Amino acid sequence: MSDHQKIRSMLSLAAAGALEQAEEELLLNHLRGCEACAAEAETWRQLASGLRRLPTPQPRAIVVERARAQAQIRLFEVFERRWNQTVMMGLIFFAWVLTLMSWPVFRFVTGGLIGLLDPNFHHLWITFALFTATVWAAGGAAAVVLSVKSRGERRLA
Amino acid sequence: MAVESDVAQLRRGDLDALSTLVTRYQNRLYRYLLRMVRQPAEAEDLFQVTWIRVAEKIQQYDPQRNFEAWLFTLARNLAIDHLRRIRPESLDEPIGDEATGETGATRLQSHEPAPIERMVARERTGRVGESMESLSVMYREVLTLRFEEEMKLEEIAEVLSVPLSTVKTRLRRALDRLRGTMEARFPGENWL
Repeated sequence: MSDHQKIRSMLSLAAAGALEQAEEELLLNHLRGCEACAAEAETWRQLASGLRRLPTPQPRAIVVERARAQAQIRLFEVFERRWNQTVMMGLIFFAWVLTLMSWPVFRFVTGGLIGLLDPNFHHLWITFALFTATVWAAGGAAAVVLSVKSRGERRLA
Repeated sequence: MAVESDVAQLRRGDLDALSTLVTRYQNRLYRYLLRMVRQPAEAEDLFQVTWIRVAEKIQQYDPQRNFEAWLFTLARNLAIDHLRRIRPESLDEPIGDEATGETGATRLQSHEPAPIERMVARERTGRVGESMESLSVMYREVLTLRFEEEMKLEEIAEVLSVPLSTVKTRLRRALDRLRGTMEARFPGENWL
């Protein structure tokens, strides 16, 4: 590849300001002594200038306002959902702590403190376990139903 | 600095920060989308969807990254998905004679603007803009990111998810094609 060919292959990128420092210097040195390449560089510069001066189309004000409103609603929903999840996690944790703590109390009231050290399964323990499982299952099902309903309403909105 | 501050507030759920960012980027984002899809109505739809996507994904945004590059990447992905869905052929090279600017998209009757609209658009964007519209989306986007958005090459590489060398190659080819189109359409005339 001759010097001219090499330089000309760089001219478009030069107009785009995309050359390395060394390439830029090489180009400038060549252009100082070569009128043909300098004219070619000027053509590229004009093209780049035309691209930079393209008019900026603007979105209609109503479109911007609608985008702003929709995005704000979505942002609110996203953060509301996060907050709800955090509260739900906290409540679940609290409920488990309460449940586990209530067992020894329950046994103390029904069978005496010494019963804590006795892991025998008797009907009271099983009743309590079934009661707890039923309550949790009912609570979980209610949460799922509410969540599905809420999601459906949001989709309709 | 103001952008980083607004983005940090947005990540905390500040609605006003979102509004500020919409105002700040409205023209640039719309221009980029319009250059990508060419149809104002489609660009407006994508503009709205992009901001909704920002609201949904802002928690996943890495504050170490450039927000502009992240924003334009979101917009780009939406635009590419849209083009793939609506006009798959528009993602490829122009199928017609590039000198006449006829592409798969422009052949679609439903998107064909009236002659008077074309004339007005031509007056508005000038010869460079008109010729640019005839290029494929791959070249239009690299030209608008570099010359209109004035992004650094590294930022463009981030938006396009390609290496720096690929950005340079695309830029060079895009300029070559643009010049070729202009020389064919307006021989011996002033381009500007």
